[in-house]
Parts: sequence; C-alpha cells; structure tokens
Amino acid sequence: MTASAIAEIPNVRLSLSNSAENVVLVRQALSGLADTIALDALELNDIKTAVSEACNNVVLHAYDGAEGPLEVDICGHPAGLCVMVRDRGRGMPPLNGVVREPQAIGGIGLPVIQALADDVEFRDLDEGGTEVRMEFATARRGALQQPQEADGLDRASAPDPELANSASIAVAPITLARTILPRVLSALAARAYFSTDRISDTQLLADTLVAHADDSLSSSHLNITVSATPRNLELHIGPLYRGRADTLINDRAVDGLGCMLQQLADGHEVTSAGPTEVLALHLAERR
Amino acid sequence: MSAAAATCSARPTPTSRLRAPGDAAEDLEELFLRWQRDGDHGAREELVQRFMPLVRGLTRRYGGSSEPFEDLMQVASLGLLKALDRYDVERGHPFASFAVPTILGEMRRYFRDSGWALHVPRGAQERALKVRDAQERLVNADGRAPSVNQLAEYLEIDIEEVIDALQAIHAYSTISLDAPRPGVDEDDGAAYAESIGSDDERYELVELDATISSVMGRIAPRERAILRMRFVEDLTQTEIAARTGISQMQVSRLLRRSVDQLRAMTTTPPQREAS
Repeated sequence: MTASAIAEIPNVRLSLSNSAENVVLVRQALSGLADTIALDALELNDIKTAVSEACNNVVLHAYDGAEGPLEVDICGHPAGLCVMVRDRGRGMPPLNGVVREPQAIGGIGLPVIQALADDVEFRDLDEGGTEVRMEFATARRGALQQPQEADGLDRASAPDPELANSASIAVAPITLARTILPRVLSALAARAYFSTDRISDTQLLADTLVAHADDSLSSSHLNITVSATPRNLELHIGPLYRGRADTLINDRAVDGLGCMLQQLADGHEVTSAGPTEVLALHLAERR
Repeated sequence: MSAAAATCSARPTPTSRLRAPGDAAEDLEELFLRWQRDGDHGAREELVQRFMPLVRGLTRRYGGSSEPFEDLMQVASLGLLKALDRYDVERGHPFASFAVPTILGEMRRYFRDSGWALHVPRGAQERALKVRDAQERLVNADGRAPSVNQLAEYLEIDIEEVIDALQAIHAYSTISLDAPRPGVDEDDGAAYAESIGSDDERYELVELDATISSVMGRIAPRERAILRMRFVEDLTQTEIAARTGISQMQVSRLLRRSVDQLRAMTTTPPQREAS
C-alpha cells in the first residue's frame, strides 16, 4: 500500500515540542485510543513501542539539541492504525545509507520501527523536516469514525516557538476524546506536580468538558492547548461558537451542586476571536 | 535457553575490554568470522558481551516493566544468540538492524505464548492497589496528597505506570479497590468493601437541612454526601477521604461514577436547547 498520496484527516493530532517528556503524552493518547477501539494489549504495546522510537528520534536528533516542533497524527482505518510523526528540522538519518555500527548499537530506533510496523515510509516535507509514516494492521473490534473536516487542525499544527511548555491536542470524533483527553491531561497535571487529589479533579474536568463540549465546537475537532508550569495548568479550549463558552462554564448539571467546571477550575476567561471564542480554564494545585 | 541464561547472569564487560567506536566494525567482522567459520566460543562470548546493551535496550523498550525484567532479558538473549548464528557478514548490513527484528520476534512470541495480554488486567489490578496503598502511606507521612513523581519514586515504577494506574482507578469499573487497606482494615480483618457504605444514615443526617433535588435524591446517600463535600464545601478529595474513612482513590472513583450518573439523568443539557 502506498498511502503517501492520501492527505488524511487524522482522528488525533498532537502538536508538541521535542522535549523527551512529551513522548509520554503521545503514548497516553495511544492508550486512550486503544480504550475506545478495544485494541489488543499486545498490539498496543507494538504500536506504542514503534511510535515512541519515532518520537524519540525527533527528540534526540531532529534539531541538533535545539527546540522544535514534534507533531503526531493518528488515523484510524477499518483495518488498522496509521501514525505519522513529523519534525521541522533535520529529520531522520537516511535509512538505506550508511549507518555506522556504533550508532546502530545505541540508536536502535529505526530497526525497532521497521520490525514492529507493517509498513514504514519516510519522506521529506516540502516545508522542511521529515515525516515517518507507520501503518499498523490491527484486529481491532471497535469502530472509529473518520473526521470529515479538517477545520481546527491548522491552528494546532502551526509550530509556535513560544510553546515549549505547552501541548496542543485535536481530537475527533468527540467520543474518542472521552478516553484520550483525561489521560493526556493527567500526564500534563503530573508534570505540573499536581497531587493525586488535583489529578483526579483534572480527570473529572476532562470528563465534564468532553460530555458537554459537543454542541459548542465550531470545528470538527475538539481542540485544546494546555500549558503546564509548576503547580499550574492553563487550558485553552476552542474555537467554540460565540456564547458557548459561557454556556459550558455555567452549565449546572444538578441543582445544589453549582457549576461543575467552575468548581473544578480555579478561574476562567473567555476570549473572542471573530465569530468564535476560546475558553481558558486555569487549574492550580491547592496546598 | 541455558546458554542464554548463563550469558544473562554474566557480569557486565569491564570498560577496558570495549573497543573505541572507530575500530568496532572491523573488529566485529573478525569476531563473526571466528564464531561462524571456526566455531570459536570465545568470539561468541565476546559478541554477546558487545551486544548486551542492545538486548537490554530492547527489553526495556518493548517490555516496559510489565514482566519480570530478568525473564524477558533471557528471552531477548536467546534472540541475540539466534541472530549471531544467522547474521551474514558478507552482506554488509549492520548487525543491529539484522538482530533487532529477531530479538523482538522472540519477545513477541514469548508474550503471546505466555498469555501476557490476558494477564495485563491482573497486572493493572495489582498496580492500582499498590498505588492506592502508597498514596495513603504518603498522605499519612506528609499530611498531604503526593504527586505522581513521589508515587513513582516510592513504588520504583515509571511515571507513566502511575498515570495508567490513576486512570484505571478513575475510569475502569473492572479494577476493584475492594482489597483490605494496610493499616486500616488489617486489625479487624474487615474487607474494605464492608467498611464503607454501612453508615449511610450518618450521611443522611448531615444533609437534613439541605434541599435535595429530585435528581440528587436518586444518588445513594454516601455518594451524595461526597458530591456535596467536594462541590459545595470545596473539600479536597484527601480531606473527604479522611472524613469518610475511605481512600482518596475510592473518593475519586465515586465522584466520577456519581457525576456520570447525574449526567445520564439530566439527559438534555441546556446548550442543546439553545441551538
């Protein structure tokens, strides 16, 4: 299968910086996806191992020690998964060229990817950088709907040098976000040194967001950018339809309990941008 | 397997025996010839030592810590021995790119044969209980809920495994938290499940003055009390745990469950009407 020509709309896009700790976010997204489509544990292990190697390659080699974007797209196919890992830097060392033995001993990433993925393709990107595309045939049982529109993805994919501490994730359909978002946010909360108390709150907040965001999204993907600094998480959710951020934040699921999102977060702010708006939620560790 | 086992237990090669990277390639070729052509076991041993880092690296990458590391190292070493026999020096490919699929193939077969996939839920169950217990010990020691880093350090597992466990506790109903909690349930031997939920009446008293909406009325009293403590009194989950005598992990799960229940009962969110 030569799939390189198909410009697919991914179910998940992670726009990260090339720091080593971001590989955990990619792995958590894959675990969340596995929950939704009931992926076999062995298959998930293969996929996580191969994808981690591709990401580690970007972390270690793409930018010569400098910082740069790490982008991961995940597409669910009827017969398996396709994962693309991109950098905007120097990219992968040539596969068929001379790989010196000492390097091959330390850098076993490429052989691992080739051994675990059913199909691997490397290509140079027009805009600079490299893409590794890995196809995994899986015996998955759950169905995953392919997103029809790519709106909302461009925002997330724009490399932002300011965002070393932030991670963007776009997920469609929203049912997939139910299993992915709590995991990714937990990993970021862990990075912000949140206590188990606040991590559980973060999971509840993710559940609540996913449960209520569906009608508010002005794009096909649920789009969240998170910045994690010590004891603080800042979530930017959107684009949302105008006025929907307030609906989300003021939603009273039950009389007597108040607004769940407001209770779980430590503050919120709505920023309008043309016909849409973005909801910012702030979570802090409480001590 | 015995040869691999012997290899595994060998001490790491002293650094003095490692060649500088520059002369490694010719050196390796020589070693492969001595083993494959002349059957020189010393050369094979040397090759095994050289590629032990590869075996160790692959074991760590592929196995995580789901399986005893030493067992998996043996399986991987067997793969290395096979690769040492089959590698064709003449073809000029680096040994690592030849050996990796062989070693990984050996590990995957082992996982498949040992029913690893079926055992994963049990592993997740054990880890969830370990994380729960560690959380309580650290709360008792420090007076506050630990971070993921602290839990990982305390349990000597990956940060990622702690996150997985927290997610499993929060979301998977298949993970049971009913095992006795050390230092809490040990003395009277009561199962954890029995120690909670028996004092519903006490919770009823707490909210005598509160108006219970019809939806909240359908939530069990204990869960209702926990919801109120978290969302009305704004207590932390650890504070709720101390007050109710259950673990914070159980509080986390009960909150998630009851919030889900509430959401299911209020089927039409307001924003749906607005559109």
